[in-house]
Amino acid sequence: MTTVAGAPEFSLPSVGGGPVRLADLCHDGPVLLLFVSEECPTSVLTLRRLAPVVPQLAGAGMSVAAVFEDPLEVAARVARRTAFPGVVLSEPAPYEVSRAYSLESLPTAVLIDRDAHEVGRVVGWDAAGLRALLSVPLTDEPPLRKPGCAAKNTYDAEELRLVDGAGGFDELEEMFEREWTDGLPVIPPTVERVEAMLGGRDGSLLLGEMAPAMARVTLERVAACAVLAGCRPEFFPVVVAAVEAVLEPAFNVGGQAVTTQPCGQVLVVNGPVREAIGLNGSVGALGPGWRANMTIGRALRLVVSLTGGGFPGRLDRSTLGNPGKVTMCFAEDEDVSPWEPLHCDRGFSASSSVVTVVGADAPLSISDHRSTSPLELARVLGEAAAATWSPNWWPLGGVSLFVICPEHARSFSEWGWSKDRVREEMFSAVVRSAGSLRWGETTPLVGGASDDQMVRKWDSPEDIMIVVAGGEAGRYSAVFGPCLGMNTEPISKEVQWNT
Amino acid sequence: MEYVSPFDERRRAAEPLAPRPVDLSGTRVALLDITKRRGDEFLDRVEELLQARGAQTFRVVKEIFSKPAAPEIVRHIANRGDLAVEGLAD
Repeated sequence: MTTVAGAPEFSLPSVGGGPVRLADLCHDGPVLLLFVSEECPTSVLTLRRLAPVVPQLAGAGMSVAAVFEDPLEVAARVARRTAFPGVVLSEPAPYEVSRAYSLESLPTAVLIDRDAHEVGRVVGWDAAGLRALLSVPLTDEPPLRKPGCAAKNTYDAEELRLVDGAGGFDELEEMFEREWTDGLPVIPPTVERVEAMLGGRDGSLLLGEMAPAMARVTLERVAACAVLAGCRPEFFPVVVAAVEAVLEPAFNVGGQAVTTQPCGQVLVVNGPVREAIGLNGSVGALGPGWRANMTIGRALRLVVSLTGGGFPGRLDRSTLGNPGKVTMCFAEDEDVSPWEPLHCDRGFSASSSVVTVVGADAPLSISDHRSTSPLELARVLGEAAAATWSPNWWPLGGVSLFVICPEHARSFSEWGWSKDRVREEMFSAVVRSAGSLRWGETTPLVGGASDDQMVRKWDSPEDIMIVVAGGEAGRYSAVFGPCLGMNTEPISKEVQWNT
Repeated sequence: MEYVSPFDERRRAAEPLAPRPVDLSGTRVALLDITKRRGDEFLDRVEELLQARGAQTFRVVKEIFSKPAAPEIVRHIANRGDLAVEGLAD
């Protein structure tokens, strides 16, 4: 080969670590520089076609470096995708290295000897040209030649501005590439954002192991999920309490994470923290519109599906799933409720802030604008729940979480019914004969009972859990379908948010 | 850009598969009943087929299908068996 020109020195950031100079690359032998870009299909083709021969070239003493006219994270992603095993470098705008090498288009392969002299170059994908330059066998698969794209150093200022604008979105795309997502865009969990989320807490603190991955759930990983979900740092104590709750063995999060059932994890938040972080328990409480509601529930789901390994379609085998598996977190509206709030029912003081997690299916809306007595209304609510899981599955063998809207709650209160009374009357009112339930999917209890034996939907009034939430107008309550066969129990944890 | 992974990367790496036996004759095969309904019937049939190929079988029962097997059950299978068969789901 004949030396035709001296090769310009450079120092560029590398995916492997610190900056890399040309002098480092050709210290022990010749180096092949492959100038490429993510946007150029011929560049990607060239990387894929050369990837298999890089080890052979390395064995012969030649190093191969891809110089991407792209940000480092993009370079890393394309190198991963193309299985390119060489050195991966990123050249920032305004692409002075490319200009120094007089590039016109990408890809351009430049061979440089150990004395830093250019000995040859091939432009575009040119199998015969590269074979001659490198003395290695290359695939004969078509295309044997393919022209590339303009190198970015040839762009004018306006074109560069547009390209740089597009590049700004790329870290969001990288999250999808890494599969650090539930399918919606996420906030990249940079070290700085995770530290802000931790707020000085020790990230290495171990909260427990989560099935099915049997992953160590550290505070740092929970913080990473909270960042991904879009939480503000002040939401984090609620996320942590929720994670602590689902890690209780009695919750059996691993079973819920992998089951063919649709169940997700429903979060109900009580106490002063609700107001402090803007958690909604009023109009539209079970729907979108409030950042705290959307992101806290999503953070827990990301812990379960990413950290814990219960990712949909992989170890999560849920037949249909349900929208609540994206996020489901709401506050009880303690101000409009005529009754003691849920956390007091569960033994906490009214002034404490508490998260209660319930393994549950999607909410079923229950309209009642016509009942004229508390018993009628209790029956309407209870009969709606009678069809949950499966119409003839009596008793349910699990918990039904009812969200009573303010108008229904006020009616019960005006009729003089306590929450316990509502629970007891609902329990008593929803009853059928075993004979009427003995078709389709039914329980062993019904199967073994005489036709006229009466069976209730619940084993006890304690299986009816009641919270009050929703807008001031409209007589729509809701009941969440249960999660069964998991031995799961609702779990409540106090939120450590003042410390 | 440096990110904090939400994963326990130690657990994310795929475990390599154990070598597959060429011949079942004389192998000790654990049949793990996870207590899903009718799973035992399925394992009865698998057991017949394995024994017909010369395998020695033994049954192990999990406490509940929806929770990971207790460590002592996993140890028991590893100590006594060469292979394990587990029926999953319905």
